[in-house]
Amino acid sequence: MMQMLAAGGLPVLTDGERQADADNPRGYYEWERIKLLPQQPDSIAEAEGKVVKAVTQLLFALPPGRDYRIIFMQRPLPEVVASQAEMIRRRGTSGAALPPAALISGLTVHLNQVNNWLRDRTDISILRVDHHDVLRGPVAIAESIQKFLQRSLDIAAMAEQVDASLYRQRVSP
Amino acid sequence: MPEPLAKKVLLIGWDAADWKVINPLLDQGLMPTLDDFINHGVMGNIATLRPILSPMLWNSIATGKRAHKHGIHGFMEPDPQNGGIRPVSSTSRKVKAIWNILTQRGFKTHVLGWFAGHPAEPINGISVSDLFPYATAALDQPWPLPPGAVYPENLRDTFTQLRMHPAEVTEAAILPWIPRAAEIDQEKDKGLTSFAKILAENCSIHNAATWILQNEPWDFLAVYYNGIDHFCHGFMHFHPPRMDGIPEDKFEIYRDVVNGAYRFHDMMLQTLLDLAGPDATVLLVSDHGFHSDHLRPRGIPAEPAGPAVQHRPFGIVCIKGPNIQQDERIYGATLLDVTPTILTLFGLPVGSDMDGRVLVQAFEEPPQISRIPSWEQELGECGMHPSDLRMDPAAAQAVLQQFVALGYIQPPSEDQTKAVASAVREANYNLARDYLDCGRPDEALPLFEDLAKNDPKQSRFQMHLAQCYLALNRRDAAKQILESLITADLNPPAEPASQAEVGAEAQPAVAAEVKAEEVASPDAIKDDATPTETKPPAPRPWADLLMGIIHFEEGNMDEALASLLKAEQSDPRLPNLHLRIGETYLRQKRTDDAGRAFQQALEIDGDSPEAHLGLAMVNLRKRENEAAAEQALLAVGLQHFLPLGHFYLGVALARMGHRQRATLAFETCLSMLPGLVAAHRWLAALHSQPGGDLDKAVRHRSLYAQLMQQRKTRAQV
Repeated sequence: MMQMLAAGGLPVLTDGERQADADNPRGYYEWERIKLLPQQPDSIAEAEGKVVKAVTQLLFALPPGRDYRIIFMQRPLPEVVASQAEMIRRRGTSGAALPPAALISGLTVHLNQVNNWLRDRTDISILRVDHHDVLRGPVAIAESIQKFLQRSLDIAAMAEQVDASLYRQRVSP
Repeated sequence: MPEPLAKKVLLIGWDAADWKVINPLLDQGLMPTLDDFINHGVMGNIATLRPILSPMLWNSIATGKRAHKHGIHGFMEPDPQNGGIRPVSSTSRKVKAIWNILTQRGFKTHVLGWFAGHPAEPINGISVSDLFPYATAALDQPWPLPPGAVYPENLRDTFTQLRMHPAEVTEAAILPWIPRAAEIDQEKDKGLTSFAKILAENCSIHNAATWILQNEPWDFLAVYYNGIDHFCHGFMHFHPPRMDGIPEDKFEIYRDVVNGAYRFHDMMLQTLLDLAGPDATVLLVSDHGFHSDHLRPRGIPAEPAGPAVQHRPFGIVCIKGPNIQQDERIYGATLLDVTPTILTLFGLPVGSDMDGRVLVQAFEEPPQISRIPSWEQELGECGMHPSDLRMDPAAAQAVLQQFVALGYIQPPSEDQTKAVASAVREANYNLARDYLDCGRPDEALPLFEDLAKNDPKQSRFQMHLAQCYLALNRRDAAKQILESLITADLNPPAEPASQAEVGAEAQPAVAAEVKAEEVASPDAIKDDATPTETKPPAPRPWADLLMGIIHFEEGNMDEALASLLKAEQSDPRLPNLHLRIGETYLRQKRTDDAGRAFQQALEIDGDSPEAHLGLAMVNLRKRENEAAAEQALLAVGLQHFLPLGHFYLGVALARMGHRQRATLAFETCLSMLPGLVAAHRWLAALHSQPGGDLDKAVRHRSLYAQLMQQRKTRAQV
């Protein structure tokens, strides 16, 4: 998604610290300082007019007083957990001490809490984008993003960024 | 469906209220409202649960269930939003509280300030969370209510205005409590700051309660005041008589604060009763008492469990209203009985999965009690948070760990990590102690084993693990732990450990309770006027006590007595020690020595049911049947669920020729302990007498024979 947004012509806030790897051979568009948002909520000012990538946990730290547009990427949680497990294995770190089913259940509640919290934030608009839909119809998704952001984007360039080969953690039908 | 016995019910919680402080005030006419209340209703002791930790206890009061069922296991829990910790929340409670059940049945229901009440639940009425009264900024700064503190949201502004800030506590409010306040050097002594904070918070809760009673329809209102507990934690050491080590000038300044707190609550009670009206049924309860006499500890152990050593295991219960007896005492109440009693007042069934019973003795006529298997399976909107918002705090923590491992969020700070680890550890410890307290050591064991393994320096974990092994009859495993503790105590390390390690190493076992309520109100009781934190007693006396118990159970009475007397030398006020010494003397047929030991236990705690039980046994041995009956009655009055108390009462009454009363006592005993062989033998004998029930005589004789046969078979095996 970050590559789509960049190709569409949106400025991306990134520090380039995290290099491409086997999990994401086309590189990461990350901004390390977003992780400090809970301690330094005012740092979000640097993202004004730009795109920044954040995990749901960090949304709780978004300070009021600004107009936020969130493109909320959604994917079946079993796929998310499988993908995370693979990333954690490659990173050599240790994740949640929970079996996958319990972790899925925990993430479900976490997302419910996030969504519940988002409902009360009138300063945040949300576009929910299904990961599978991006792979199936990137043009339609790019158009919906253009409409949501109310900005003219390079739809064709955005669609070209979608690489279905990166979709590895499928849930068996 | 039984008829309702109450039109509306007001449940008032006074944290830590204790008859030991109240009775002298009643005698002096200084609590006139409560005096009138108990003259027109019933009063009694209410037995607490262990660990004596308020969030667990108040949720047991509100659910009728023990902590392992309701899910509130401590003060703090991991906060999935910031990676740190937060006060334990309503989303962690796993079962319905009384206000959820009443919501489900359409009653207009309000709840105010209850422990683990945040975020406020969407009940059929108003819910104000326990975070409502806390001032988070100076008076001239914004101090908004935290999100979720009030339900429904449209009343947020109204309740915001009802709060009182500590800075609004004026001289006129302070002087009646602390007439010499002007002498306090507030740079050094923060007593007034603490005082104002506690007073303001409780006024805020009271304002909210009176506003609801004046402005809203209601069938049920539950309101919780933490004032007595917080005033006692902050000022009980200045309560007369002056304790050793308390400077006279400070004693004179603060000596009236505790009594003032009770009198203030009496005044608030009058307002609540006036607003509730004469047709309301009112329950006034506390979750535990508070040592106010020679049992006041001289220092607070420096551990998460520290301040709870000040708590006494008996609180208060008073009930008045239509269909309730007047000017009577009730006996044997526990915290778990409150919700079943309220359900019966509303004509609703009691859940069979509730651990408490209905306080039938409080009613003018025995109430009709209906039951259902569980309220948890009853369908309908109950005003709990949606299940998809409720998450086990440990699972929430695991999700955070996952995000950290993926590099998506910053690892929590070292302080946060420590705080989270401590919250999780204490919650597991409290849960394990709850299992141990309710006779489920098999459930407690893996938790204690983990705690002891992960934190071997904390002797409180080792001691509880030893206790758990003992409860499981694994005496060798218990002995191994105790011997190593005793050895470690006899051979301390040459180099002193760091201060923190010393505190951890020295933590006591059974007396260890969880840090009191200052967590939600960080500086409410912390000031330089509170007793200093002290190194807790070394574990050795506890180890000797437990070794004594093991020897006793193995039948080695001489060794048992030696260990127990060793423990006495180190710490003569160790809880339960004199009871164990008394029991050992009884087994050695040293009846007079046993009597002296039980008397010593009573000198330490005059409300010990076990000490009265021991004296009943001593009296029975000496054929002093009237005295035995009196002691047994005192024992079961303090703790109804005491089968041996009913048994000894039955024996004494039978010997005195009170056949019917004796029969009743034995039947009560067997309802609690159906396998007590001797009770069947007594009942068989009593029913065999002229005028007895011969069928029952035959039945009990047969049961006696069966049980004896089983015992013989077991012995052979």
